[in-house]
Amino acid sequence: MSARNRKSGSKGKKDRQEDDAFDIWLRRGLHQLFDDVVNEPIPEDLLKLLEDGDDDT
Amino acid sequence: MADIFQNQLIDILPKLRVQALALTRNRTRAEDLVQDAVCNALKARDSFIPGTNFAAWMHRILRNRFISDLRRHRATTDIDTLPGDLLATKPDHEDRLAIKDLAHGLAQLPSDQREALVLVVLQGMSYQELAEVSGCAVGTAKSRVFRARRQLQTWMMGELPEDDRLREEAAALRRRLERTGARKSEEVGKGV
Repeated sequence: MSARNRKSGSKGKKDRQEDDAFDIWLRRGLHQLFDDVVNEPIPEDLLKLLEDGDDDT
Repeated sequence: MADIFQNQLIDILPKLRVQALALTRNRTRAEDLVQDAVCNALKARDSFIPGTNFAAWMHRILRNRFISDLRRHRATTDIDTLPGDLLATKPDHEDRLAIKDLAHGLAQLPSDQREALVLVVLQGMSYQELAEVSGCAVGTAKSRVFRARRQLQTWMMGELPEDDRLREEAAALRRRLERTGARKSEEVGKGV
């Protein structure tokens, strides 16, 4: 392997590590931004809508 | 009594909310969108084939509803100029500034890229499912996620989104404060 290839291989590894770290951070950040919405209770009017939909069938 | 269809609908509501928020960037509009999508789904329940992918079917209904609402409202409102509720987030973590940056970056992305990123990275949807939901080729679905991710990474590494006046002003203010601080240190050093 030439010195240049070794250098680019090492750069590739560093890029991958950065990408992995970013992916972890991104997933965690998205959870922080969206988890509140996921955990909110279902609004009454939406439940009523589902019940009414059930009555129609 | 709720049937299988309704139970599936209730189970998927949290994920629909996330998709709706990713598309609208506004909690109130997201709730409205979910409600409208549920109405549409109830009306169209006979068109759902049991045993097929209910989640993809439902996400597609919500997405189509968003697009039709967008077309209807475009004449009077440009959605991309509305401030995003995402920016109002207040995480109690030490990296809250970085999370605000992420929220800001997400708000700058085109809605299809934002949606794709959230569905795949946060909700673990496959590219195949995303393609089904979005009515596009798998390659296009992959590309949307890739571009969104790459763009956010670029911004997070320090390059500002275009037309980002607020952050540019903040950076200028920070530079000015640093200069003032440096000058004061020099004066103290000289015994002024």
